[in-house]
Amino acid sequence: MIRLPTLFWLIIVATTGFAMFAIKYQVQGLADRLTRTVKQADDVERDIRVLDAEWAYLNRPDALAQMNQRFLSLVPIATKQLRTSVADIPMRPAPPPLPPPPPPVVTVAATAPTPDAATIPAGNSTPPAVAPPDAPAQVRLDEPVSAVATESPNPVATTPHEKRIAAAPARPTAVKTASRQAPTHRAASLNELIAQITESR
Amino acid sequence: MSAAFQFDDNPCRPRHFKPPPCMPVVPDGPAKRALDGCRPRLLIMSLAFIIAFVVIAGRLIQVTLLPGSITVPRIARFDPVPPPPPGRADIVDRNGKLLATTLESPSLYANPRQIIDAADVAQKLVATLPGLNRNEVYAKLTSGKGFVWIKRHLTPDQAYAVNQLGLPGLQFQHEERRVYPYGALLSHVVGFTGIDDNGEAGIERGLDSSLRGRQESVQLSIDLRLQYILHEELARVVDDFTARGGAGLIMNVNTGEILAMVSLPDFDPSHPDTLDPRHPEWTVAERMFNRVTLGDYEIGSVFKIFTTAMGLDSGATSMTGRFDATYPIHIGRFTISDYHGKHRWETVPEILMYSSNIGEAKIALAVGADRQQEYLRRFGLMSAPTLELKEIGRPHYPAKWREVNVMTIGFGHGISETPLQIASAGSALVNGGILRPATLLKLPPGGAPQGTRVISAETSDHMRKLLRMVVLYGTGEMVDAPGYVVGGKTGTADKVEGKHYAERKLLSSFLGVFPMTAPKYLVLVMVDEPHPNKSSHGYATAGWTAAPAVGRTIVRIAPLLGVQPVDESSPSIVQALTPESMQGKRIEAY
Repeated sequence: MIRLPTLFWLIIVATTGFAMFAIKYQVQGLADRLTRTVKQADDVERDIRVLDAEWAYLNRPDALAQMNQRFLSLVPIATKQLRTSVADIPMRPAPPPLPPPPPPVVTVAATAPTPDAATIPAGNSTPPAVAPPDAPAQVRLDEPVSAVATESPNPVATTPHEKRIAAAPARPTAVKTASRQAPTHRAASLNELIAQITESR
Repeated sequence: MSAAFQFDDNPCRPRHFKPPPCMPVVPDGPAKRALDGCRPRLLIMSLAFIIAFVVIAGRLIQVTLLPGSITVPRIARFDPVPPPPPGRADIVDRNGKLLATTLESPSLYANPRQIIDAADVAQKLVATLPGLNRNEVYAKLTSGKGFVWIKRHLTPDQAYAVNQLGLPGLQFQHEERRVYPYGALLSHVVGFTGIDDNGEAGIERGLDSSLRGRQESVQLSIDLRLQYILHEELARVVDDFTARGGAGLIMNVNTGEILAMVSLPDFDPSHPDTLDPRHPEWTVAERMFNRVTLGDYEIGSVFKIFTTAMGLDSGATSMTGRFDATYPIHIGRFTISDYHGKHRWETVPEILMYSSNIGEAKIALAVGADRQQEYLRRFGLMSAPTLELKEIGRPHYPAKWREVNVMTIGFGHGISETPLQIASAGSALVNGGILRPATLLKLPPGGAPQGTRVISAETSDHMRKLLRMVVLYGTGEMVDAPGYVVGGKTGTADKVEGKHYAERKLLSSFLGVFPMTAPKYLVLVMVDEPHPNKSSHGYATAGWTAAPAVGRTIVRIAPLLGVQPVDESSPSIVQALTPESMQGKRIEAY
C-alpha cells in the first residue's frame, strides 16, 4: 500500500520530470527554427546584395543613355527651358473653345504613360525611335532636377491637344518594348559581368 | 550496561542481540559541562545554515518567479549561427549608388573518389558550363585525388544548373569576389583589388585597412551622374582631337569635395591588366596612370591666375596697375614673348584676359622671388597634396630660384603641378581666399574643414571679376555656357621632352568656375597632346579644346547641382563682375 505522502511525492516527481522534458523539446524546436530563420535571413541578405549589384549594373548611365536613345529620345534640358520661379512662366493664352474639358498639361516629369494616354489607340504606329516633334526635354529618368523644369512654354500654350495626340502613340509602345526587352537582357547581363570578372582573374 | 536491559520490551528477542538502550543518557560531571558548552555552538551553526538556505530560496524565487528582475547572463543566450565574418565594405557614391561591392560566388570542385562515372560527369559538365575542355575535366575526375577545382566563380545561374544535374561528388565552395558595376567609369577613383582582396589602386588601396572587416559602406564625395557627364565630355574632346589622354575634375570650391574625377585613358577595374580592344596602343601602365592626382604637368597659362592673385594680394600691383608688354623679354638664352599679345602697355586685368606672358613675367618680378615662393607654399603648390589615394604626385620646381625662374613660373612654365593641386588652389582664389584640402569622402552638411586663409577676401573678389573677364572678352570665349556666369582661365603649354619644349606637343587646359557671382563649383579639364581638326580651324589650343568641353560639362551638370541660370546681361550681375577700373569703358575683345 502506498501512503499518501509517498503518492504526493511521486506525482510531484512525475510532473516536474514531464515538464522538464516538455520544455527541453520545446526549446530545441525553437532553436532549430531560429537557426533556420537566421539562415534564411542570411540567404535573403545575400540575394539582396546580388540584386543591389545587378540593379547598379543595369542602371549604368551609359546603358540608360542607350535605352533612352532607342526608346525615349530625351535630350538634356536646354538652359532656356529652365525657369527658376513660377513668375517666370508666361500665362497660357486663352484656349480656343472646345467641347471636351481641357486635358492635363503634359509636363516634363510625367514621362511615364498616364492611364489617360495609354487608352488612346496606337493606330498610327509611330516608330518608337522617332521622337515626337516636340518631345519634352528631360535629363534622365531617375535623376532629380532641383531647378524647376518646365517645357518651353510655346508648344504647350498654343496646341495642347495636338501635343497630347502626337506624344501619346509613341509613349506606350516605347515603354512596352522596354519592359518586354528587360528580363532577357537582365538575366544575361550579370552573368556576363561575373563571367568577365572570373576570366580576368 | 545492566541497567539498559530493563527497558527492553520485546521478550522474544534473544538476549545477546539486544540493542543498546535508547533512553537518553544524562551524563554528569565533566561530560555534562562539555555538553552544555556545545549547545550554543550548535545553535549558531543551525542559524547559519538556516540563513544560507533562506538566501538560496530567496534567490531561487527571484530568478524563477520574478521575470525581468535580473538580466539573463550572457552565457545562457542562445547563439545558433555565428555572424558571418565581415567582408570588405561597399563603396557608394554621395547619393548612395553602389560603386563597389563584395559578392559571394560559388566555385565548383569535385571529389574524384566519389565520382561514379567520370566520363558521364565530364560530358554533362562540359555541356552545362561554358569554357571547359572535356578531356581536361575527364583527366581531373580520374586523377584519384580527393579535391580538384572544376571551375572558379560560377554565376548563380551556372551554379543552379550544376545543382540540377544532381551528380554526386560535386561540391561548391563559396568564395568572395569584388564587383564594380560601373566598370571603367570610376576606374581611377575606386581602383580595384587583387588576389586576396588587397586594394591595389584608388580608394580600394588608399583606404584598404578601413575597408577591411567593416560593415557599413564608405561614402565617397563623387556624384555618379557628374562623373558620367565629365567622363563623356572628356572622352569626346580626347576623341575629337585624337589626344593622348585627358584629365578632368569637378570640385566643390567651398568644401574641397571632389564630385567627379576622370583620367583618360582608363581601365576596367574588373580586369585591369588587359588591353582595350578599341585602343590597343594604350599600354596597361598608361591606362592605370591617374593623370589627375599622380601626373604633374607644366600647366602653362592657367598658372597665371596665381601670379596675378599674389601680385594683387601682396600689394605689388593693383587692379589699375600697368605693365609694358610691347616687346619680348630677352634674358640669358630665353626669350619671353606673347602668343595672343597686344604689344602695348596692358593693365593687370588685360594681362590676364589676353594671357600675356610678358605681363605676367613682370608681375612676378614685381612680387619677387621670396614672396612668390611664400605664396606658392601657401597655395599648397610647393608640396604634395593630401588625398585619400596613394597615387599622389609631387610638384617639381627648380631647386635654385633664379630671376628667369621667377619670370617663367609667373606664366606657368618651369614648375609642374598635379591638376588636383591646381584645382584646390584655384578654389581658394575664388571662394573668398580659404584653402581647404581636397577630399574624396563625402562631408556631412556644414562639415567643411576650417581651412587656411591664403589671400584676402578682397583679392578673391578681384579674382572672380578677372576670371569672368577672361571668359567674356579674353581667351575663354569658347566656353559658351550662357546663364551660368562662368569664369575661368585657359592654359596652353608646350610639353617638355627631355630638356626641351616640344613645339607641336601641347597640353591644353581650362579651369572654369561657376557661377562667378557666388562661386560654387570648379571644373578643370586638361587635354594631353590634342591635334587640331577641321572643326577647330587648325587650332589645338585650350580655347578650342578644353574650354568648350568645360562649357558643355557645366551646361549639363548645373541643373543637377541646383545652380539656376540667370540673365547674364542684367545690370546687377554685370556691375558686380566688372572691375571698377573698367566699368563704363569699351573693352577690346581678344
